[in-house]
Amino acid sequence: MGPGDGRRRGSDSDAPLSQPPRPCEAYRAEWELCRSAGHFLHHYYVHGERPACEQWRRDLASCREWEERRSAEAQEVTRVSFAQRSLCESERARVQAARKHALVWAPRQSPPADWHLPLPQEKDE
Amino acid sequence: MAGAGDARGPGPAAGEPPPQQRGACQVFPERPAQGKPPQEGFLSGFFTNDQKCPLMLLKTLETNPYVKLLLDAMKHSGCAVNKDRHFSCEDCNGNVSGGFDASTSQIVLCQNNISNQAHMSRVVTHELIHAFDHCRAHVNWFTNVRHLACSEVRAANLSGDCSLVNEIFRLHFGLKQHHQTCVRDRAVLSILAVRDVSKEVAQKAVDEVFEPCFHDHEPFGRIPHNKTYARYAHRDFQNRDRYYSNI
Repeated sequence: MGPGDGRRRGSDSDAPLSQPPRPCEAYRAEWELCRSAGHFLHHYYVHGERPACEQWRRDLASCREWEERRSAEAQEVTRVSFAQRSLCESERARVQAARKHALVWAPRQSPPADWHLPLPQEKDE
Repeated sequence: MAGAGDARGPGPAAGEPPPQQRGACQVFPERPAQGKPPQEGFLSGFFTNDQKCPLMLLKTLETNPYVKLLLDAMKHSGCAVNKDRHFSCEDCNGNVSGGFDASTSQIVLCQNNISNQAHMSRVVTHELIHAFDHCRAHVNWFTNVRHLACSEVRAANLSGDCSLVNEIFRLHFGLKQHHQTCVRDRAVLSILAVRDVSKEVAQKAVDEVFEPCFHDHEPFGRIPHNKTYARYAHRDFQNRDRYYSNI
């Protein structure tokens, strides 16, 4: 997931977040993929070690608790809030891990000016 | 021709890039030197005997999940890709399969060296990664070999070039962390295909940038080992607004 330009509502806010970062089906699919024999082979081929899939399982459980909040009784609010925090912390850790290396090049603020220009030969014609 | 080159063989039973060093102009003879207008691009390939290249390109652009994600990501970054403007099917010297010409913002597809649809998809993915880097960052393709090395590491890592199957077809047998060995080696080969530098200089550049660039998985967010991973990555990219709004 690349850097997005969506609005960020930090976990420090008291306002509840509206929905999980991903549909719960996405967490289930990632957990299943992680546990597959094919992924074990790919991961070992790239990293030389077995993959860790437990976090996807925990995130799936947190997501399902989050999505149950609409029918939650008042006494369940604390449990659902914990699930939200847990899931958000897990996703923020993934984002931090993806950004921890310094960039080799400077990012652009706008695309190259000549990207859409016609080819020099076309311009002459 | 000035840009990143893909020093890949003509198919799964790949040959290696030519043993002697060639400049980019010798590898891509239809590409003009800087300052000269380029030859006809996409249409000239269509009307020559080799009509497979445009047809394979079209199928790749319309169906391949790696490519569809890259096209979406480039559009989001302000570099919408036009098939007729940004791709050119040409005959190339040696075993090079394609390249990205930063001076004209064009991807060159070596129609005489791309033999099947799967190969076309890999080459297009590889070169689109270079184009994506050109779009999102100030990459000094011509003056900074570390920048070139970084983009080549990313392209070898994320395009499927170094999949276990492709390496086995090349008779490169290895399992534990072999992917990283392949990425390093192919990045060096690609640099040597388009830059008049020594192998030691290319190797040093790859070694210096490997850690950050190997872990830069944009726009995929992961290493897409096959089309399933690429589809999941595309799903995540399309979901990014919801994602960043809710963490």
